[in-house]
Amino acid sequence: MQITGRQIDDFKSDRKDITPPLPVVLRLVPLLFYCSIAVAVILSSIFAIQFQLAVQKRDTHKAMSASLGAQTQDARNQRAALETQIKKATDIQNWVAGSRPLQPLLVEIARSMGPRSSIVNLRLDREADNPSQYKMALSMGTDSTKQIDLTMEKLASLNYRAFSPTQTLGRGELDYKATLVHQDPFRQQNEEAPR
Amino acid sequence: MNSKHIACGIVALFIALLVQLTLWVQGKRTAVQNEAGAAQQAEATASAQLNQERVQIGELRRQSADLIEFLRIWQPYFLVDSPQSAEVNLSMKVKDANLVNLAQRFELTPLKGNTSIPNTMRGFLTFEDDYARLMNWLGELEVKMPTVRTSSVRLSKGTRANDLRMEVILEQPLLKQ
Repeated sequence: MQITGRQIDDFKSDRKDITPPLPVVLRLVPLLFYCSIAVAVILSSIFAIQFQLAVQKRDTHKAMSASLGAQTQDARNQRAALETQIKKATDIQNWVAGSRPLQPLLVEIARSMGPRSSIVNLRLDREADNPSQYKMALSMGTDSTKQIDLTMEKLASLNYRAFSPTQTLGRGELDYKATLVHQDPFRQQNEEAPR
Repeated sequence: MNSKHIACGIVALFIALLVQLTLWVQGKRTAVQNEAGAAQQAEATASAQLNQERVQIGELRRQSADLIEFLRIWQPYFLVDSPQSAEVNLSMKVKDANLVNLAQRFELTPLKGNTSIPNTMRGFLTFEDDYARLMNWLGELEVKMPTVRTSSVRLSKGTRANDLRMEVILEQPLLKQ
């Protein structure tokens, strides 16, 4: 017995649509579904690409920020080291400025003594707070105050000036006390220049 | 409600899910874009800070060039950094001079207001010798050891005619390394 092709393909007989048709508005739902798939795929793709670009941008900026931060820290360390060096240099400079040799001063005082004068006692003390200044106490065997004027002239030639001098003359001995301050002639010239 | 209505509802649910998914992806993108913007701002701030720091360093270097040069020249003279070596150093100078040394003692003294040189070794020396020899020794010491500070000198007559009694306090700075 032969079976026709149509009989094989169509086992199921046509059935009558028993449910009522959907309203027109609801018939748009499948159409909306296809549209939404298309729009969702397109938008999601755009958003995904933008997401990837933003991730790359964020990572690049973060890496740059980290690099700049490291460089800033390095620069800060360099500045701290430089400030330490400056402090050290300033301290050494202060020490050196307060360590001006005393021997030329002593020799000049000794050389300034005239034939009728002699040093009985000479004391030079650096001031603790200001080491570039000296407290001088000089006792001389002399009969006039001219000797001390001569001595101070000699000291002035070494750029020392006496402040707060006191002198006592009695029994052929002169006691002289003063604070000696060294004045840098080059510095004085520079200070006077703008006037 | 028939099966067609149910099918419509399911399809509508799928549509809602697709909208939610799209909104979620958009939200993620916006969040990362905001993070990227913040990172860009942070980079600009870091760059400004670095520039400012470099300007400050440059200015500081320019202002302190003389001081740094001064330090470079003078630091080698501050080699003595221990009380023992300072004492030996000064003692040797006294011994080498072959002067009549009546007394000598050393003491470690703290130095105020100088953080780089916290201490000095003070040598209290008393001599009685020829005037010229004493003055030459002191002058030579001050030239050869420019960092040594003569804190105090007291001169008075010695026992012999040409002799001078000299009491001197020398300070050797001990640089903090």
